Amino acid sequence: MKRLQSTAVAALATTGLLLGLTACGGGDETPAADGGSTELRVWVMGDAGKTLTEVTKDFTAETGITLKIDGIPWENVNDRLTTAVASGDGPDVVQVGLSLLPTFADAGVLEDITEQVKAYPELDPSNFPDAVSPQALTGTDAVTSVPWVSDTRILFYRTDILGEAGISAAPTTWDEMRSAAKTLAARGDGQYGYYIPLWDNTLPVQYTWQAGGDVIGADGAIDLDTPAFGAAVDHWTGFFADGSAPTASDWDQTQGFISGATPMVVSGPYLARAIDEAAPELEGKWDVATLPTNVTGTSLFAGSNLAVWKGSKNVDAAVKLLAHLADPEVQVAWYEAMSELPTTADALETVAAADPKVKVYADQLADARTVPMVPGWDLAANEMATALTDIVTTGADRDSRLAQLRDKVAEIEKNY
Amino acid sequence: MPTSSARRTSRASARRAGVAPYLLVGPAVLVLAVFGILPILVAAGVSLTDLNIRGLGDPSTVEFVGLANYSRLVADGAFWNALRVTGILAVVGVPTVVLVSLTIALLLHTSGGRLAQALRAFYFLPAITAIVAVALVWGYLFNSQFGLLNHLLTTVGLDPVPWLSDPTWAKVSVGLVAVWRASGLNTIILLAGLQGIPHEYDEAAQLDGANRWTRTWRIQVPLLKFALFFVTVTTVISWLQFFDEPYVLTEGGPNGATTSISLYIFQQGFRYNQFGFASAGSLVLLVVIAVVTLVQLRGRRLDVD
Repeated sequence: MKRLQSTAVAALATTGLLLGLTACGGGDETPAADGGSTELRVWVMGDAGKTLTEVTKDFTAETGITLKIDGIPWENVNDRLTTAVASGDGPDVVQVGLSLLPTFADAGVLEDITEQVKAYPELDPSNFPDAVSPQALTGTDAVTSVPWVSDTRILFYRTDILGEAGISAAPTTWDEMRSAAKTLAARGDGQYGYYIPLWDNTLPVQYTWQAGGDVIGADGAIDLDTPAFGAAVDHWTGFFADGSAPTASDWDQTQGFISGATPMVVSGPYLARAIDEAAPELEGKWDVATLPTNVTGTSLFAGSNLAVWKGSKNVDAAVKLLAHLADPEVQVAWYEAMSELPTTADALETVAAADPKVKVYADQLADARTVPMVPGWDLAANEMATALTDIVTTGADRDSRLAQLRDKVAEIEKNY
Repeated sequence: MPTSSARRTSRASARRAGVAPYLLVGPAVLVLAVFGILPILVAAGVSLTDLNIRGLGDPSTVEFVGLANYSRLVADGAFWNALRVTGILAVVGVPTVVLVSLTIALLLHTSGGRLAQALRAFYFLPAITAIVAVALVWGYLFNSQFGLLNHLLTTVGLDPVPWLSDPTWAKVSVGLVAVWRASGLNTIILLAGLQGIPHEYDEAAQLDGANRWTRTWRIQVPLLKFALFFVTVTTVISWLQFFDEPYVLTEGGPNGATTSISLYIFQQGFRYNQFGFASAGSLVLLVVIAVVTLVQLRGRRLDVD
C-alpha cells in the first residue's frame, strides 16, 4: 500500500513537472489582425511609452489601429534584441538608436520598406538631414528605417565662471578651447576647465572629423593610422596632460557643471534638461555654442530611427504609424513632451525659432555625422576609449599603445 | 563482505521497490538535465561555432570553427586580465567573508537576547536588498565628487580616496560591497550551525575550567566544521562567478581593473553578440570552478580520513 502511494506521488510529481515545462514553452500571442482592428506592437526606448500613447491618440481614432507599447530600458536594448531574434517573436515597430543600427541590420531584423514609404510624402528622405539618409546609413537606396528623433553634441559652458576668468565668449577653435580650459583649471585645487567623459567613445571620433579626417578608410575598413586621428588623440590627451580635465572615471557631468568644477562640457540636449531640473537657479548663467573648430566643427549625429520588424504581419499599418510620427506637428509635440529634437526640417525649424538654445542644436545638426555604420564598430570604439584612457591615466606610451590598439581593431574586424 | 543470502534479500527488496525510486528522483534529475546539463552541452556546441547575432537570425550563416574561439581566448590579454582580477578578488574575498561571517555569528550566538535577534535581521538585510539599490547607495558613498566617504575623510583631515577611479582602489571598493552583501547569509548559516551544537559540550568544558576563548576555539569552531566547509565552498564558487558588484558599480572599469571573468564573458556575449566566443569563455570558467571545487572536496575527504 505504502509502495503504491509513493509510486503515485512520484508519477504525479513527474507529470506535474512536465506540464509545467510545456506551459513555459507555450504562450504565443500573435493576434490575427482582422476585422479592421489592427494592433501594432511597438518597442520604444526608455520612458517614451507614455508620451507615445499621447501623440498617437488621433492616429488610433482616425485609422482604428491600436498600439501595444513596450518601453525598454536603454541598458536592456541589446538583451531584448537578441531574445527577439532568437525566438523570432519581435514587435511590429521598433525604435533603433543610431549606434545600434549596424547591429540591428546585421541581425537581419529590419524589413525593407522602400516601396511602402513611397506612398507617404512625410517619409520622403528629402525631409530629413543627409546624415541619416538611406545612402549614409546603409550605402544603398533601400529604406530599412526612417529618422525619428535627433540628438547632437554641442558645447555647454558657464557664462558666469568664464566671465570671472576673463573669457568673454565661448571658445570657437581648438586652440581657444585648450587655453580657456587651462585658464579655468588654474582657478584652484579641484577646479578644472573641461570635462571629457572617459567612457565616451564618440568624442575622439568627432575630433578626428574636426581635424579633417575620418576613422573609416576608403576601403570601408576602420583606419586609425591617419594624421587626423593622431591630431585627435593629441587634442584629447592634451586636456588631461595639462590638468584641464579630471581623470576620475566616476565624475558626474551634471554635478560638475552645476558646482562649476568643470564649467565646460560637450554634451547633448539631455544635459540641458538635467540642469533645468537639478539647478533651475542657474538659469541665465550658462549657455550653449556649436563645437570649437579645427579644420571643421563636425559633431556627432545621434538619435533614433524607427523601423519595421522583419516578418511583421502588419507592414502597411506600421509604415502608416511611421508616417504619422514623421508629421512635423507630431514631432513638435514630441519635442515639447520629451525634449528630444525632431528630425524633419520643418519641425526642427519650428522648435528652433522658439528657443535660441535649440537654434544652436539645429545649427550643429547641419554639420553632424553618425558613428560609422560598420559591424564591430562598438567593440572597436570601446578599445579606442580604453587605449586613450590608458595613455592619460596609467602613463602608457602613446605610440606603442596606439599601435597595440590598431592590432586589436584589426583583429576585431577579422572576427566580425 | 555480504553473504549470499543477504545479497539475495537486497536484490529482492530492489525488485520490490520497482519504479518508485526512479520516479521519485526523476523530477530532480529532469530539472538538472534540462536546466543544468543541457545548457552546458549547448554552450559546448556553440563554443565551436562563430555564432553571432547574424547567425541567431539566420542559422545557415553559422560556421563550425573548431577550437578557434579557444585559441582566440588564450591570445586575448583581456581574458587573462579578467582571470587575474577574479583570482585576486577570490583570494582576498573568500577568507574575509568566512572570517567576518564567523565572527558575527559567534558574537550573535554568545550574546543572545533581543538585541542579538534584531541584529541578526540587520545583518541579513544586505543579502535581500536589490542589487540596483545597493549600487545606487554605494555609488553615492564612493563618488569622488560628492561622496559621503570622501566627505568624512576630508572632514577629519585625510586625503580623499579615488574609490572607483583608481585600479587598485576600485578592486577594494567592489570587494568591500561584495563582502558586505555576502556576509549576511553566511552568518545565518553559521549561526544555525552554532545553535545546533549540543549545550552539554559547552557545559562540560566549562566544568573543566575552560575559558570562553578556549571554548570557542576548541569546542565551537571544530564542531562547526561542516557548516564552515559548506560556507567556504559556496563562497569560493560565488567569488569565482563574481559579477553583480562590478557590473552595477564600475562596469568592469577603470580600464578592466574590476572586470571579472563572468563580466568579461557577459560583455563578449551580450554586449558584442559574440555568442560562440563567449560560450568558449564560459566553458573555461566551468572547468576552473569544477577543478577548484573538486580540490576542496578532496581536501575535506583527506581531512576526515
